[in-house]
Amino acid sequence: MWDWSFALEILPEIVSALKITISATFAGFAVALVLGLILTLLRRSDKVIISKAAQGFIEFIRNTPILVQLYFIFYVFPEFGLSLSPFAAGVVGLGLHYSTYLSEVYRSGIDAVPQGQWEVGTALNFSKTQIWTKIIIPQAVPPVVPVLGNYLLTMFKETPLLSAITLVEILQTAKIIGSRSFRYLEAFSIVGLLFLLLSYPSSLLIQRLDKKLNRR
Amino acid sequence: MKENILVKYNDIHKSYGDLEVLKGINLGIHEGEKVALIGPSGSGKTTLARLLMTLEEPTKGTIEVDGKLLWHEEVNGKLQRASEKHLHEVRGNIGMVFQHFHLFPHMTVLENVMEAPISVLGMKKEDAKKDAQEMLDKVGLIDKVDTYPAQLSGGQKQRVAIARALVMRPKIMIFDEPTSALDPELVGEVLDVIKDIAKEGKMGMLLITHEMDFAMDIADRVVFFDEGIILEQGPPKELLNNPKTERLQTFLSRFMNAN
Repeated sequence: MWDWSFALEILPEIVSALKITISATFAGFAVALVLGLILTLLRRSDKVIISKAAQGFIEFIRNTPILVQLYFIFYVFPEFGLSLSPFAAGVVGLGLHYSTYLSEVYRSGIDAVPQGQWEVGTALNFSKTQIWTKIIIPQAVPPVVPVLGNYLLTMFKETPLLSAITLVEILQTAKIIGSRSFRYLEAFSIVGLLFLLLSYPSSLLIQRLDKKLNRR
Repeated sequence: MKENILVKYNDIHKSYGDLEVLKGINLGIHEGEKVALIGPSGSGKTTLARLLMTLEEPTKGTIEVDGKLLWHEEVNGKLQRASEKHLHEVRGNIGMVFQHFHLFPHMTVLENVMEAPISVLGMKKEDAKKDAQEMLDKVGLIDKVDTYPAQLSGGQKQRVAIARALVMRPKIMIFDEPTSALDPELVGEVLDVIKDIAKEGKMGMLLITHEMDFAMDIADRVVFFDEGIILEQGPPKELLNNPKTERLQTFLSRFMNAN
């Protein structure tokens, strides 16, 4: 069944496609980190319209499948004049979808900062922006870093979805190899193994980072 | 009487829903004056202080600080709610020390004291550092500059909080029950620091405390609060020796018995 020489032959091709997978993950996560923070801040706005709109947006994104969102961005947006490459569409789709989860993570971090920290910020006459940047965010983020890290890993494992919008990432590469050679076992096994090899050490790394950040 | 009036409450009311906590307070505090607010829990003392620190907004009435309205601003001859910019400007005159310290846990002791002078007053880092060190020396914590708040005792935390408020050089400092959250054996060190600051004289104080001897010791004037109104006020000795209202008599006797 298993052909070692074939496995070794296709390994470089799959590994090189891993670059696409990894860069899509990090780019998507960067989008999610920034957009998630913006959503969190909008949701806390004093203006009810803004906070309701942000809340509505979050619910909408969270309650529709990511695959539908990806199809929409890649196949429907061009009809409105916005054409994105498979990579860009994938990054936007993943980033958008995960920003709603990260927004929730940020929120829990912010809610955990005691009310007194806001009050002392006012008492020392910090501006609203400074209260956020100097006092609240530095306290809200470190405790949620492991949760953010886990979302990064989840997102990494979801990147094969991008093969559906024609991005030649690692799963798509394996599929191409399979249909070319009619051998699927080696290609898909290597894909699974690569995900495992990257995910597991990363999860250990996140645990260590958590200990380091939240020692105080 | 001393020179100028620094803080003036004009017919201040504060309600939470149907509950009226302050029922028309008129109170003036002179520059450099030390005023102690005493009264039973829930009488509105803390609310009065929080209104001055802009942590709560009055339901009715105005507060003046250094000749300027705090919560209001005159625009085209009409009084309206103050903008964030106006609040920021007037608030700079006021400092506050909280019952639960509220130190920044992510900063060292030195950073706790340095941050606001740099970010808010725009001080240079070296100057802010020097100033912070001097102030920490004054409260007896110069050996703790690189420590994080979690490693300090309650009394030490409160002394850092005092230094942090002092470096902003407010004209009046609010002390909201500064020793109520401390273990009994740590109360003395904090009271001593506050006494030292009071003796320097320049800065006004609005002191909310249940430490009656301490209040009588440092206050120029004691204000007795009950159920949202000022019942009596005057020099500490006068109030202590010659309480006019029955409520103050009861309140004081409870403290005398306790000691």
